[in-house]
Amino acid sequence: MIRVDTLDNGRVTALVLNRPDRRNALTPEGLSRLADAARAAADTSRALVLAGEGRVFCAGFDLTLCRESPDGAVMRELLRALSHVVRTLRNLPIPVVAAAHGAAIAGGCALLGGADIVVTDMHAKLGYPVLPLGVSPAVSAPFLMPAVGSGPARELMLNPALITGSDAYEMGLAHELVQEPGDVAARAQQIASELADKPAVGLAATKRLLNRLDRTDSDEIAREALDVSLALTGGDEERRLLPAGWARRST
Amino acid sequence: MSTLATLDIDGRTARLTLNRPDARNALSIDLLQALHARVDELANQDGVSVLVLTGAGKCFCAGMDLKAVLNDPDAPTTLLRLLADVAIKIRALPMAVIARVNGAAIGGGCGLTCVCDFCVTHADAKMGFPEVDLGLCPAVVAPWLVHKIGAGRARAILLRGGVMSGRQAHDAGIASHLADSLEQLDETVDELSSSLAAGGPGALGATKSLLNRLDGSLDRDIARHAADLSARILASDEAQRALRARFGTD
Repeated sequence: MIRVDTLDNGRVTALVLNRPDRRNALTPEGLSRLADAARAAADTSRALVLAGEGRVFCAGFDLTLCRESPDGAVMRELLRALSHVVRTLRNLPIPVVAAAHGAAIAGGCALLGGADIVVTDMHAKLGYPVLPLGVSPAVSAPFLMPAVGSGPARELMLNPALITGSDAYEMGLAHELVQEPGDVAARAQQIASELADKPAVGLAATKRLLNRLDRTDSDEIAREALDVSLALTGGDEERRLLPAGWARRST
Repeated sequence: MSTLATLDIDGRTARLTLNRPDARNALSIDLLQALHARVDELANQDGVSVLVLTGAGKCFCAGMDLKAVLNDPDAPTTLLRLLADVAIKIRALPMAVIARVNGAAIGGGCGLTCVCDFCVTHADAKMGFPEVDLGLCPAVVAPWLVHKIGAGRARAILLRGGVMSGRQAHDAGIASHLADSLEQLDETVDELSSSLAAGGPGALGATKSLLNRLDGSLDRDIARHAADLSARILASDEAQRALRARFGTD
């Protein structure tokens, strides 16, 4: 479910979401393995790449898992695991570069909140089309808002419409834009190798201070945001609206 | 009176010049002390609506004078706290402050441009934050870049290090105004400066003060924390090795 690639003589580790037949849909176990692999990589490498196998980076949660769980138990597991992995990535002492090719949607877009640098392609689809499913993207807000600013964050989280990679670059959600989806991973690896060349102590201290300045190091804020998303799970609205999600994704 | 920073007042516009051109206006302890004194004078000056901050000679400011602090264990903390404190003082000035980036603005020098309300640069001016390339931590300037361009973009720039052109700095939001060449810089500065001086100084000061409050940029605790972090990393083995290699002293 998560492939670990060692690159650049071990100086860079790539963690690859590896479920291409399901557009790398996220499961609680996959997210939890991703967090473990990220922590392990920080002990051995100087930079981390987060990527997806196949045509897209990640289409979001595997909502078909929620079908057998009308009380919302699986959705809660997914949300907790997502919050955990984003915080883990953000608080690693090494820089994280995300290769968001093709699509980074809902939970997939939320993963970008853990990255320091995001690479995407011009025509990629990104966004949070989850409110129509009765799900709140609040869990991502503490990471998304500092990345793009309050106004754009509101727009992105409240409007379910998807944006393009070019829009994401303009907005500051992505920091590097390439033409073709097939070039995203290579560009991300190149940036990671450049970062791996820099003295590690200064880089880690800089990242830690930035996390403090934008408050993405705060467990309290992350917890509060997660609780907002958790509070809706298993409720009437979600029960009524969520089936549209797995109908769409089980194709 | 030290001439490492000079102040000229002409009607409603003042000009503050970093004046150490033989050292590319690098920020030494002496220069920063002179800068403090000039900013204190300005704070008590009535009738000035616009301040232009610039550098003498070909550079705006090449950054911290790192060579001078290489062999003195106490100097980094003194130097970085002086910079952190003067940045807050400049931010708190009631007049509109314009950075006139006549040439390279690197590291702490680029940080100073972010403290200003406006930054006018030219297409070929060299700007940026190469601290992490040298094993240093740009903590002392990080809060100012975050206020200027937002936390996400600041993160990408500070972690990747390197330098950029004035045009790229303008695209990144670090510079508010861009002149096509150095020759056209003053025209752009003068135009902005007259437009700012036309406003009511009371309204301008009140607006600026609110903006400072909203973005929390006068927070001394975070500024001190950041300065001490930069000083601590500057004193680390990794950074000292990189600096000795750079300055060719062993």
